[in-house]
Amino acid sequence: MEPLRLLSVDPSDRGSQRCRLGPGMMSALGVHLGSPLLVSVPGGSCLCTAWPRADLAEGFLQMDLKCFSPSLLSQLPSHLSLDPAQVSPVICSKLKGVRITVIVQSVNFRKRTPHRLVHELVKDMLKGVCVHDGFVINLEDFDTEIKYVVIESISPESDSAGFITSKTAVEIAGIQTLRHYRSQLQDRHTVQLGGLEEVSASLREMLKLPLLYPSTLSSLGVSCPRGVLLVGPPGVGKTLLVRQVVGEVGACLVVVRGPEVVGARPGESEEALRAVFERARSAADEGPCVLFLDELDSLCPRRTSSSAPENRLVAQLLTLMDGMNQSDRFLIVGATNRPDSLDPALRRPGRFDREVIIGAPTLQQRKAILSVLCERMPVCPSVNLTELAQTTTGYVGADLSALCREAAMHAIREDSKCSGEQLVSMKHFHEALKSVRPSCLRSSMGRTELSPVTWEQIGGLDDVKLKLSQSIEWPMAHPEAFVRLGLCRPRGVLLYGPPGCAKTTLVKAAATSSNCAFLSVSGADLYSPYVGDSEKALAQLFHQARACAPSILFLDEIDSLIGSRSHSQTPNSVQTRLLSVLLNEMDGIGLKTHERRGTEKILQAEGVEESHTPEQLDCQEVCNKDVMVVAATNRPDCLDSALLRPGRLDHIIYVPPPDQEARLAVLKVCTKCMPVGADVRLEDLAAKTELFSGADLENLCKEAALLALLDGNMEASDIKHTHFLRSLSKMSSSLTEQQINKYETPPR
Amino acid sequence: VDEVRITNRKSAAITGSARKIKDNAADWHNMMLRWDRLNEDGFMAAASIVNMRRSCSERSAAAQQFFIASTLFLTTAPCVKTSCVTSFLVSRQAAVVTKMDRLMTSQRGVEDLEAFQFGAEGRKTPLFHSWSTREFGEISQVLLDSFRRELLLKQTILQEVAHTVTSDLCMVFLSGWLHQPFIPTQSRLRLEALLLETGHRPL
Amino acid sequence: MSTLAVATLHQALRKSFATLESNQKVWKSVLAECSPLMVSLGNLAEQSRALSNVQISNTPLRVFPDLEERLRFKLLEATDIVLGKLNEKMSSLQSARDAISNQVAAILHLYEQNTHSLDLLAVTERSTTTPSVADMLEWLQDAERHYRQQYPFLSSVLDVYVIFWYFFPLTLVFRFLRRKTLLQTLRADDLSLLESAPQRWNSLESPSAEDHITDTLCKVSFFVESQ
Repeated sequence: MEPLRLLSVDPSDRGSQRCRLGPGMMSALGVHLGSPLLVSVPGGSCLCTAWPRADLAEGFLQMDLKCFSPSLLSQLPSHLSLDPAQVSPVICSKLKGVRITVIVQSVNFRKRTPHRLVHELVKDMLKGVCVHDGFVINLEDFDTEIKYVVIESISPESDSAGFITSKTAVEIAGIQTLRHYRSQLQDRHTVQLGGLEEVSASLREMLKLPLLYPSTLSSLGVSCPRGVLLVGPPGVGKTLLVRQVVGEVGACLVVVRGPEVVGARPGESEEALRAVFERARSAADEGPCVLFLDELDSLCPRRTSSSAPENRLVAQLLTLMDGMNQSDRFLIVGATNRPDSLDPALRRPGRFDREVIIGAPTLQQRKAILSVLCERMPVCPSVNLTELAQTTTGYVGADLSALCREAAMHAIREDSKCSGEQLVSMKHFHEALKSVRPSCLRSSMGRTELSPVTWEQIGGLDDVKLKLSQSIEWPMAHPEAFVRLGLCRPRGVLLYGPPGCAKTTLVKAAATSSNCAFLSVSGADLYSPYVGDSEKALAQLFHQARACAPSILFLDEIDSLIGSRSHSQTPNSVQTRLLSVLLNEMDGIGLKTHERRGTEKILQAEGVEESHTPEQLDCQEVCNKDVMVVAATNRPDCLDSALLRPGRLDHIIYVPPPDQEARLAVLKVCTKCMPVGADVRLEDLAAKTELFSGADLENLCKEAALLALLDGNMEASDIKHTHFLRSLSKMSSSLTEQQINKYETPPR
Repeated sequence: VDEVRITNRKSAAITGSARKIKDNAADWHNMMLRWDRLNEDGFMAAASIVNMRRSCSERSAAAQQFFIASTLFLTTAPCVKTSCVTSFLVSRQAAVVTKMDRLMTSQRGVEDLEAFQFGAEGRKTPLFHSWSTREFGEISQVLLDSFRRELLLKQTILQEVAHTVTSDLCMVFLSGWLHQPFIPTQSRLRLEALLLETGHRPL
Repeated sequence: MSTLAVATLHQALRKSFATLESNQKVWKSVLAECSPLMVSLGNLAEQSRALSNVQISNTPLRVFPDLEERLRFKLLEATDIVLGKLNEKMSSLQSARDAISNQVAAILHLYEQNTHSLDLLAVTERSTTTPSVADMLEWLQDAERHYRQQYPFLSSVLDVYVIFWYFFPLTLVFRFLRRKTLLQTLRADDLSLLESAPQRWNSLESPSAEDHITDTLCKVSFFVESQ
């Protein structure tokens, strides 16, 4: 048979439950006037009664949505075509009884109208309607406060559909407001969260106990917690977590966003806040309810002495929270990423009793998040989520979701060029990693753009490279080996040596190879004309570095930044204060509670099985939760001795000026992408460039190339040895023997 | 039956105190009927005053400064007239209350006579069916009190109604006039009981 | 066989339309009787609102401290009487509606009993004077639905008070006490609902609401008369 075109219902048929068909179609189905039909449409189905079209035309279908599955409540099907097989007759016998939930428009009606009146009205309205178990009956055509009725169960239970007569017993299981019902319907389709199982379990428990079992708690004499404060950096999924848990528990959610409440006129904000509490209270009458105050810090900042309008708002919130009594069965959940800026009065027990800290996700959590995110994406089986999780240090949930989106976009862009299978592969993820940076490093003063540098790009210095990778790379790659031998990761590394000898480049290479977040800072970033600002900035930098640990915090030219207490003329200068901040932070004193990440895991040295991957990952997590401080200086004598003692910058690595062999390696690296003539003897050059630093050598090569261009009138195809010699003759080394001798004596 | 004026049929069967009380009961009934009629007319008059004032204030608000004097004169003239009507009606109501007061006095006289005849404990057999003589007096007192207060309310409203501008208060005045808050619904029942007891209505 | 069944149905349909017509008249007249009652209900609500708005102690009436309470009680009594009368009207409406419902249910039942002898062709066949059986059944259903939709709406207009006076047949005194507390707890929004009751009621009486039924009766007039 031909497909049926679904047209919108005729206004005169509204409320009639009729389904208009052509008479031919009705004969084919074997139904007569008023026979019940079940029509399946995308997203749900609808029960209606067959009736011939007034014009007796075939090929069209118009149905009045009187009885339909709840999923159609939000999205009613519009013009589409249906297969005739989707229309099937149903047998509807007279029902003995039906159990329903009544959905009404306003809270007032629900509260005030006696059950008897509702019962009488509903019974009257339902008479003559064909109902289906679990479906929703639309009663809007009656134009009363009663909008819908949900069929909870029907009797006899053997039938799935039936006909309500005046003899059918109607039992009202409950009365809900339309708002509550809709929110419950929505909550059923929440997204899954990854990596927050433990936090969400504790939150769920907190919500469930007082909301669902209030009598048990009161019989135990325990007062239910009223408020929960969620603390965590932006993007870790605080809001999403609340929505998901609330949906799971089946509670009603009342969300308050700061700007909605804050009004311009005096007293307006307080009134709005009271109204919100009132709304939560009335919602709590219908079932468990959660009042969610998002971005609490913007709503209730720390009260200042001046009579700012915020002070009154904070006071109002405190009063409202104190005014809640045990009979108010709703819970307040606040979320903030700046707990320190909240008014302290809010954080005492009795108000926000519990604080749940959600840190930036750890390696395991990132992996869980990624697996949730990738579940709904066509991901290539070759994608290694563990590897991806390892490379995304410092990424929060929102970043990871952005990353996946970006990767998918890359895949789509590629597909548009050559239409093939739409799979997101590792390549796309790597591409996306370049454009999506962790949000905790955004707005950071430390430079984070890291142009990847490989070890091979640095000539010579093999023992320095080894030492560096020992202290930076190894602990991250082989944590179990470190644990086995009882080694702990070095806290800090100091690189010293004459200028221009690739100290900075070495650190970059180390960071690149170890795949960790890289923050670097120089003196100019930190200095500020205001007292205390520099120290705060440095502490903030450590905070950020910890948030995305494992990370490398690179302090270039540390001598200019910190200096030494003994050398300093003014004992209270900025440098000395910065030094004390640095020492504190390195000792781990500056760690704040809300920087906690994941749950504390205590690693046992014995019994760690290396083959076991999850445990290995755990191991990596535990060992790498610190920040590695790498400092570089060319004036090690200026440093304070306290900074150099073990436990702080304990690995001190001398980066010497290149010897002849190293110089040759450097030259090789420098001339790698230059068309060098056959007559060029790099060994010869290396021998002649005593006391040249790496930077000098690079310059030498550049100069030679320029000379070649000058000679060949822009058409030179290669660089001759003479060019190198001429360039050499123009230059002198930047290092002196005396300088080097000074470095040879260790700084400590 | 209420509408029918109850007349004092001379019957030889009862004399003395009983005769007096029975006549009083009939008078109570007639007084209350007269009061109600007066009250209805008074309400009409008061309502028209309020309506006039309302339209008057609307008009004067709309009118130009120039015309105010003349419009005020034009609109207040009928107002004054109706006020006179109302105050006349209220004075008639006052007369009714005075008569009620007189009924009360005669009732007291009967009681005093009974007390003189039979002493403190009163008459042994009831005058009519079951009520003691004192009970007639009590009922009369309750009725008289309620009408007195109601009259006072009417007089207060009469003084104020022409000068009141807030529409809500006008509405309260009118609604007070119409619904007679100080004459409870039970008053009618009491009167019916009295009529039953005295034999004006068949048991 | 089919013609016999159709003839039976036609006979029953004629009867149904006659019932519909007579009950439409009843419905209309009862509704018209309700109008003045609704107006007085609105007036009483207006008076109640005025009383709530006025602070008696700030007016010349301050010499009567118990005036407000007494007046409220009186207003309540008057409202009760009006609602009592409205309730009587509502039961007349209900019985008119039930008569139509029962008639329609009966004819649908008759149709269902005869489905085996009535194919769709017979049911949908129409002529210039006789509409098809399907059409007529549809119109009857529509009319029945119309009255069923009207009734809960009407009663919801009265909801605010109805619930206290209709569904609680308690002793007179107790009822009064109960309603007295109700009126004291009534808030401004309830009063405004009550004040708007006459308008909402009048909106029902607009000719368009009943037009549909009258149209239907016109359409079948030939058929009904062609005995």
